[in-house]
Amino acid sequence: MDREIDDILQSAAGSPREVPAQLLERIANSIAPSLRPVRLLPPTWVLSSALGLIGAAVALIGAARAGFQGFEALDFLSRVLILGALAVFTWAAARRAVNEWTPGSPRRLSTRGLVAAFSVALAVVFALLFDDYRTENFVSAGLTCLSTGVLHAIPAALIGWWVLRRGCALDSVSAGSAVGALAGLAGLAVLELHCANFEAVHVLVWHTLVVPVSAGFGALTGWALGK
Amino acid sequence: MDVDEKLETLMARYQAGDFTAARCLIDRVSPQLHRFLDAYSATRADTDDTLQETWLRIHRVRHTYRPGEPLLPWIYAIARRVRVDHYRKSMRATVRELPLEELPDATAAAPAVLGHAEDLEQLLAPLSASQREVLEMLKVAGMSLEEVARATSCSVGSVKQKVHRAYETLRRTMSARELKNDQSGALP
Repeated sequence: MDREIDDILQSAAGSPREVPAQLLERIANSIAPSLRPVRLLPPTWVLSSALGLIGAAVALIGAARAGFQGFEALDFLSRVLILGALAVFTWAAARRAVNEWTPGSPRRLSTRGLVAAFSVALAVVFALLFDDYRTENFVSAGLTCLSTGVLHAIPAALIGWWVLRRGCALDSVSAGSAVGALAGLAGLAVLELHCANFEAVHVLVWHTLVVPVSAGFGALTGWALGK
Repeated sequence: MDVDEKLETLMARYQAGDFTAARCLIDRVSPQLHRFLDAYSATRADTDDTLQETWLRIHRVRHTYRPGEPLLPWIYAIARRVRVDHYRKSMRATVRELPLEELPDATAAAPAVLGHAEDLEQLLAPLSASQREVLEMLKVAGMSLEEVARATSCSVGSVKQKVHRAYETLRRTMSARELKNDQSGALP
């Protein structure tokens, strides 16, 4: 039976569809007046590096303004693990954002899946490093951190969008979500450099939340722009 | 113009502003693109419009194609997007339009459809939109699993799963059809 199915599909493939010559002529004529050499998009690694640098710059400038109390209070291992994880995830998010702006790019995981993976991995890193399970001013301190992170994500997202503006986002929700996640990682980096509140639940919940919340805002913006 | 010239080479020349290459690309890719778009259009004229819109979109974003990458996934990814936009636009228009007393027969105006195309339409009718597009790209357009995954923005595993499910549905449908034929043939 599979053979019968394959035969029908192959005979369809072997008998090309007749497209009226006038239509082909019309298409060719419609593009002819604006046909000139185009400047190609920079390679993926160039755009990804630019986005990664933007994220790092926003994080450093934000922390420089707010203070590096969090970074100074962290031990060496925590610094390496947290900043290392942020660097790897920022690179992955930057690549995904570039791919979202380039039609026909390879994709092994949906952007939603990628954001979920980042959030879980960050939560695991924080759970391994912080063991103070007291919770003082859980909501008020948490909301301050969440808003600080998301507010710092906004300039990162805007500059990231500006870098990618020559690309073509076919799925605006997914593209917005990818840029949002990248910007959220920059916002989270500001918190890791600045926030000296090492209560495990505070870091696990409110710091980690910056990434999915920023990705959500990005998706929402993409949806609104793509309508 | 060498008729066997690779599509990717033609695209690179199109990006460099070569009209002959652009024309050759349009002539070579349009038939399979037309068939792909036709599956989701109400009339032949609608498909023609969508094809033209697809080429205009391709022209606008031609700088986003990276030389050396496979071309068909790039083209099909754009065609899918145009198809969705066109569908949404036509749905919005349909909601605002008043129904006619008697609809014209759209197929009557269309040129005679080839037998193979009819078979294909019948065969793919029971499939979902995503299964159908994957099977069309893979078996009719001759793209690889990796290329289909790129065009549909999903993983190779997901494409394999869709193809597997499509074949299951097709097997079930064909068995049911054969059974029906056998029963009607057995009647006196």
